[in-house]
Parts: sequence; structure tokens; C-alpha cells
Amino acid sequence: MTQTATGGLTLAGLTKRFGTFVAVDEVDLEIRRGEFLTLLGPSGSGKTTLLMMIAGFLDISEGDILLDGASIRDIPADKRNFGMVFQGYALFPHMTVRQNVGYALDVRGRPRAEIEARVDEMLELVQLQQFGDRKPGQLSGGQQQRVALARALCFAPPVLLLDEPLGALDKKLRVEVQDQLKAIHRQVGTTFIYVTHDQEEALSMSDRVVIMQDGRIEQLGTPNELYERPRTRFAAGFLGKSNFLTLDDGTYALRPEKIDLAPAGSINGAARLSGTIRDITYFGAIQKFMVAVEGRDDIEVDVDSWRNPHDLSVGQKVDLAWADTAAVKLEDT
Amino acid sequence: MKPGIFARLNRMGAWMALLFLVLPALIAIPVSLTPKRFLSMPRGEYSLRHFETLFTSPEWLSSFAQSGIIAASTAVLATTLGTLCAIGLWRVTSRYTDIVRAFLLLPLIIPQIISAMVFYRLLVPIGLIDSYPGLIIAHTVLATPLVLITVSASLANFDPKLEQASRNLGASNWTTVRRVILPSIRPGVFAGALFAFILSWDEIVVTLFISKFSVYTLPRRMWNGIRENTDPTVAAAAVVLIAVTLLAFVIYALVLRHRTQPGASEG
Repeated sequence: MTQTATGGLTLAGLTKRFGTFVAVDEVDLEIRRGEFLTLLGPSGSGKTTLLMMIAGFLDISEGDILLDGASIRDIPADKRNFGMVFQGYALFPHMTVRQNVGYALDVRGRPRAEIEARVDEMLELVQLQQFGDRKPGQLSGGQQQRVALARALCFAPPVLLLDEPLGALDKKLRVEVQDQLKAIHRQVGTTFIYVTHDQEEALSMSDRVVIMQDGRIEQLGTPNELYERPRTRFAAGFLGKSNFLTLDDGTYALRPEKIDLAPAGSINGAARLSGTIRDITYFGAIQKFMVAVEGRDDIEVDVDSWRNPHDLSVGQKVDLAWADTAAVKLEDT
Repeated sequence: MKPGIFARLNRMGAWMALLFLVLPALIAIPVSLTPKRFLSMPRGEYSLRHFETLFTSPEWLSSFAQSGIIAASTAVLATTLGTLCAIGLWRVTSRYTDIVRAFLLLPLIIPQIISAMVFYRLLVPIGLIDSYPGLIIAHTVLATPLVLITVSASLANFDPKLEQASRNLGASNWTTVRRVILPSIRPGVFAGALFAFILSWDEIVVTLFISKFSVYTLPRRMWNGIRENTDPTVAAAAVVLIAVTLLAFVIYALVLRHRTQPGASEG
């Protein structure tokens, strides 16, 4: 095995049991140096447990974790040198922002001048230069989040673990912070392992996403691969929205925005299904049509609002069409 | 809005309970001002002679100093032990934690007279009877559970993620305790130290058993004063005892308020 730089993690048969409950079930995963990898799953899927084992806060029941080929299984949390941004940030309330950010270097006994210089650098990275002497309690949620990030990156860890770091922020701020996080990831080149249950965060920031369910990896791939080619019903439903069509040869996933809809008889190409509009919901950029089709579940069709030329209304008969490539055959049923 | 009948009854009840609790202690104040040479309520005439006796008599002054030394040492020792116990029990999650905790609280549950006899039996053979170390050890055993309780209460509100964060950032266990946990639970530690000090400062049952001539604490001298000659100096001493206790609480309250104020101003 060749090693060029640090920050590549290998999870080999990683298992965590609490009594008889299996929280993480033989997970094998290769995390590349410098990538932004997201563990995505509903609560109880084992993603946080997995992160806590990587951080060293939970013992491993079976399997191993390798950092650049060497086992870190027996290295305690305080010797692993992994940065971590906690859910709720866990900033030290009695210390100033500067003391928080410099803490890791301080406990390593680095000289004062070096610490101060590095803290300045980190505060600049997260654009909090003028807030160094404040206490965390005097900062907004978004600012606290950035302090937590600066604190975790201050000692230049090879791997940064992020546990739902945007969970406490409101939606608008979340999108802003996503862009900042992405920019910071590019700038520092550290491996980011990001845990979230928010599919938008996963899609917008990650190089690769791991969809987890019941302690197992459901599917692994780039956001595009996962969205365009979900392998299972769970993956298709959890990452984005999906209609499920049962045909003669199996179940297909069909994204609502890939369906074309027009008044009965007027559709371009061959109509694949016909039905009646049961409900229309207006979302600004798109409109969501729920179409009742005889003998099937309702089919959701998302149409760009500006492309609704027919002025469709509830109760109207419509035809549905889609390209051959739009429906993806699932491996499970 | 006028308060309802229940609210008023409730408030009256609270004041009655307060008076019931405080009045017996306050009786000492007029009695200490009597001009007579025996314990009595003053009638029209007041005098500070008993306070003068208290502050000029070498015996009384020595007892003050002894009680102060013993109480301060007890506070330091009990706070150290109790805090470490509390942190240890908080950290370790095992089914035995509760059993250990109950065991550590035993000194609070066992009748003091029993503890007194036990200390007597234990301290005589090792030659610590009637000595500072003997009394300090005994009082520390009695006071440590109080610290354990107050510190555990503080730890219940402490976010365990702060400990994880500290360890994740490379701090050893000890550094984490010193720099993250202790600053966060300081109010509980202070409260524990205060209770430990006060427990030792007015402890009499155990003290009677394990001190004779060379150690003569303030409560012990008061006890003898009442038994032998109903000397009103005892009342004056009681007033000082209450004043010192109150002072300790005021300092505690001030420290707490200082801590809860934000360190720097906005802007």
C-alpha cells in the first residue's frame, strides 16, 4: 500500500453492538484523503454511532479503523488528532473565542506566539477576526458554528468530523453556511466526514454520500449517481422524492420532475399513463401535481411553474409521459 | 391585579415558616445584650459586656481560632475529596455507580452519635484523639457527602459534549477536569465548600467524643458554658457564630452573582 499524504480512512467490518442491538453492522468503507464524505440517514441509522467510533468516544465491538493503513482502534480519543464539530457546537462557555480556538494548541504546550498567530489565521478563515475576545454566549448561532469549526481545524487535523453541525441554524442561514463550509473544505484540504439527516446538505456539499439505514450502508456514490441511479427503494425515497411504479419486470423509481404532463390526447410522444388531477400545490418555482391513476398509487409530477401553459386544474384528465432513461429499475421490490 | 385568597394564604404561610425557623436563633441576640451575669432577657438595660468578655478572654479567642482552623481544613479536604468523587461517579456509567454513591452518602444517614462512637474507637488506637488531625478527619468524613451532593447537582447540568470536545482537542483527562469541567461546576463546588465549612464550624456531637483538653472548639466551649455556669457569653458567641455563617452565605451569593455576569460587554 502506498501512502502519499495523511487523511485516508478505512473502515473494515466495523460493528457496534449495544447489548443485543446492532447499531452499526459490518460497515466497510474507504474514505479518500481530502474528500468531503457525507453519512446520510434517518435517526437511528447508525451514522452518529459510526462517527463516534471514528472519533474514539465509543469502543469498537468488531472490525477496525485504519488511518492511512495503520489501525487506530486502540488510540484514545485525545490522541487521535481528529478535529470534530459537535452538534450544538460544545464551545467552552467560560473561555473567550480566542481561548476556545487556541485550546488544542494550548493543551499541546505550544509556545504562546505560535498559538496567537495560528488563532489569528483561523479567525480570518472563518471571518470572525473582530470577535476574538467575546464569550460564546455573546455570539449568534451562525458565529458559534464558525468558532466551532475554527477550533476543530486549528491544530491542522488530517480528518475533520462534523456531527449535524447546521442542525441548530435556521434554513436561510443553513444555505449560507453550506457555501462557507464547502469553501473552507477546498481551502484546507482536510478530509471531511459529515453526518446529517438533511438530504439537501448531503447533495449540495459532498464529493460522495453514504446513505445509511439500520446500521448498514444502503448505497454509496456521488450525489449525482445516487440521485440518478438509486439502487433501492429506500435510497430513492430518502434522497429526493420518487414515484414507485410496479411493472411486469419489477419496481421502478421515477423522479417527479422527470414526468411530462399534458391534457389527455395532447402529449408529445406516447402517453405511458393516463389519470385525473387530484390536487395541485403551488411552490413558486414549481407546481406539484398529484395525479390519480386507476389501479396505481397517486403519481406526483413536479412541473416548473413557467411551463404550465395548459392552465391545468383539479379534476382534469391528463396523460403522463417520460423518457426511457427516466425510470430506474430498483434492485429490491 | 389583586392576589387571590390562596396566594395570600400561601405568602402568609411562607412568612410563618420562616419565623418559625429563624426565631429561635434570633433569641440569642437580645440575650447576648443582657447586663446580668446569667442567661436572661434584658429588661430596659443593655450591655456589651459579654461581647467584651468574648473578645478579650484568651479561652474564647483560642476556641474561635481552633474552630476556624478545623472548619477551613475540613472545607478544603472535603471539597477536594467530594468533588473528585462526584466527577468520578459522573464519568463512570456502570450499574454499581448508584451503589457506590449510596455508600458514600452513608455518613449523612448514620446517626451522628453512632459516628461519634466509631470515630472514638478508631482514633484512640492511632493516637489521633483530641488532636487537630483527628477532628479534621472526622469532620471531613461527615462533610464529604454534602460536597458530593452539591457537585453532583452541578454536574447534572454539565453538557457531556464539552468533555468530549476537550478530549477530542487533545486534552488529557486531568487537563479536561481542570480546564473544562471544574470551571463549569464551580457554583456546586463553592456550595459544597460552604456547607462543609458550616458543618464543621458548629459540629458538637462528634467533637464532644473525640476532643478533651488540647482541642476546644467554639461549640464545645459554648456547650460547657451552658452546662456549668449559664454564662451569657455563650449567647454572644452564638451571635458571632450566626454572623460568621451568614457572612459565608453572603460571600457565596456575591461570588455566584459575579460569575453569572457576562465577562465582556456587547459592542
